[in-house]
Amino acid sequence: MLKVENVTKYYGDFLAVDDLSFEVKTGEIFGLLGVNGAGKTTTFRMINGLLDKTKGSITLDGKPIDYTVTDKIGFLTEERSLLTKLTVKEQAIYYGILKGMDEKTILEKLECWLERFHITEYKERKIKELSKGNQQKVQFITAIINEPKLLILDEPFSGLDPINVQMFMDVIRDLKKKGTSIIFSSHRMEHVEMFCEKLVVLVHGKSVLSGELKQIKKEYRKKNIHIEAEGIDTRALKKVKGVLEVIENENEIIVKIESNENASDVFDFVKKYKEVSKFVVEDATLNEIFLEKVGVTYEN
Amino acid sequence: MKTKLKFLIKQSLKKKIDTKWFKIANILILILLIGIVNIDRVISFFGGDFENSTKIFVVDDANAYPLLESNFNALKDSLEDLGNYELENSEKSIEELKEEIKESDSVIVNISLSNEEYIKADVISFDPIGTITEQLLQTSLNSVKSAYVLQNSGISESEIAALTSNVSIHKEVTNPELDENAEGRDILSSGLILVMIVPFFLLITMLTQMIGAEINDEKSTRSMEIIISNVSPKIHFASKIISSTLFVIIQALLLVGYAIVALIIRKLLTSSLIGAVPGEVTDFVTETLTTVKNTGVLDLLVKGLPFILLLFIFSFLAYAIIAGVLASMTTNIEDYQQLQTPLMIILLVGYYIAIMASAFEGALFVKIVAYIPMLSFLIAPVIFLLGQISLLELIISTVICGIATYLLFHFGLRIYKVGILNYSSQNLWKKIFKSVKEK
Repeated sequence: MLKVENVTKYYGDFLAVDDLSFEVKTGEIFGLLGVNGAGKTTTFRMINGLLDKTKGSITLDGKPIDYTVTDKIGFLTEERSLLTKLTVKEQAIYYGILKGMDEKTILEKLECWLERFHITEYKERKIKELSKGNQQKVQFITAIINEPKLLILDEPFSGLDPINVQMFMDVIRDLKKKGTSIIFSSHRMEHVEMFCEKLVVLVHGKSVLSGELKQIKKEYRKKNIHIEAEGIDTRALKKVKGVLEVIENENEIIVKIESNENASDVFDFVKKYKEVSKFVVEDATLNEIFLEKVGVTYEN
Repeated sequence: MKTKLKFLIKQSLKKKIDTKWFKIANILILILLIGIVNIDRVISFFGGDFENSTKIFVVDDANAYPLLESNFNALKDSLEDLGNYELENSEKSIEELKEEIKESDSVIVNISLSNEEYIKADVISFDPIGTITEQLLQTSLNSVKSAYVLQNSGISESEIAALTSNVSIHKEVTNPELDENAEGRDILSSGLILVMIVPFFLLITMLTQMIGAEINDEKSTRSMEIIISNVSPKIHFASKIISSTLFVIIQALLLVGYAIVALIIRKLLTSSLIGAVPGEVTDFVTETLTTVKNTGVLDLLVKGLPFILLLFIFSFLAYAIIAGVLASMTTNIEDYQQLQTPLMIILLVGYYIAIMASAFEGALFVKIVAYIPMLSFLIAPVIFLLGQISLLELIISTVICGIATYLLFHFGLRIYKVGILNYSSQNLWKKIFKSVKEK
């Protein structure tokens, strides 16, 4: 289990991370979100032992982060952190040995993963000769080749087509089942919603939202109503109590309301119409929550 | 961590040596070295005008041919590398000879008596004669004229021979600080020693560029983050320094090996037909080796070699450390190349001082610089071999360099730790100075 407790990091006078705390349990996927410069990279670097904390503590299975612990961490950086002049095999051996593995085990694991990602034929090819997507696959393999206890995934799906995204998702879910703790960071909120059970949103290094995703969404008052009906007067709909916004799409109307209590008012308005085929009240999306939380904090 | 260090050194070394470019470069170096050492043979092998002898037809109307022949040959023998000349006393007429020398390098010299000048000469050639041929004829004919006049003034032949022979000069140097080998060493300093330090100059340049490129490659691809999360910056830094230094040592040994191969080939060529072709210029290598042996430089080299080698290794390490630190501060190879310019200038300063060491013999400034790390490896060995500093002074210079290298690593590591994970040039120097102060 990863435990980050009251961690603060200053770069000179600049506060990069402010009293951050969270836990990632075994077999849990945790979302670390924030706009660029929010302090995510600094947090990842501190977890990886690359940076010293100004205050607080970080432990993995109760041990403070040092070079014996970092061998059990896998890190997939946002940028391609590969030595492009090496072949896929050489790269895997390079990172594997630095993680304390022996060459034989690395090669065995490599074979399995290359097969799983359908890139066996690229084993002896130089990384610079591979496509972006295949480079991302190699990078992912090198991050998990040591069967890490903690896996940090920073924008893991960048440069991937939908088929490969699905392939990555399946592997991530398998790793979770095997008990790997995963920290997931992405600007694509739909991916975060799909994976993460818990999350923290950082703004200027400070946590502005944290907890279980389900609970966060439940506690978030604003809701969305999806309506499919003929001839609805949207102007009149906008005037209904608690309606914040009405979005007219090709096949449906999305009504954003202040809280769940306003749904009945909207329903009363809609039921006057004869051809109502859909009326669904849904929680706000993570993207909406994120935008509001980040925006509000900026305003403050 | 030791296993990781070994692995990193092995990987880094493999990346430098196990490449086709390294192999191609070394094959080219070998070929070039063999060519340079055997340049005279190479020139001879391809042939040219220098192989033909210049025939000089003498039409002797003054009965002076024997005098001319003896003077001409003596002069030719005393001066090396003048080319091939063949002197012939011709009975043919000038007109016949003019026909004969058409389209050739041959020369007609018509010697005749003159009332005003005792002896005069007409020189006829198809093309203009070269300066060397003209000087040779002029000097020989001047001697002939002197001898002719002396002969006709009643002086005996033995007296004339003594009179016209070269004055023998006995050289004696009274400076008590110089031994009998001083002159030879001076000659040596202007050539051989400088030739010896040029490869080290090139190796240091190679070392700094290589270490910079490697660190920048890891930084720019962000592989550094993965590497440093698994090995400490100290291990990483040490691996870069050791592998680069090992590489230049391997390259230096290869250069020595190539030089030996080139010398063996030269020796084989000397005893072969190719080596025996006419037109051979000077045998520089043979002369140099003889000078090295005779001047006592070889004895000095044997005595000082362990310390000279240590000094070289410490200096390689020092340059590698600085190059590593500079590379860690930059984020791309262009910035690094700009930042390494002062380092190259320091190297050049050392090189020029080493060149000037023989001209300013005993200069206090040169001796002081021989103790300054980063410069000492170019200067101290040179002035030691020139007999300007003692073995003890060479050892002191080596020890100072060793201590300085350790201190460079100690403080350089602090900058390296901060630099390798820094991707911004904002407040760079502030960060650097701060990191030096922090333990």
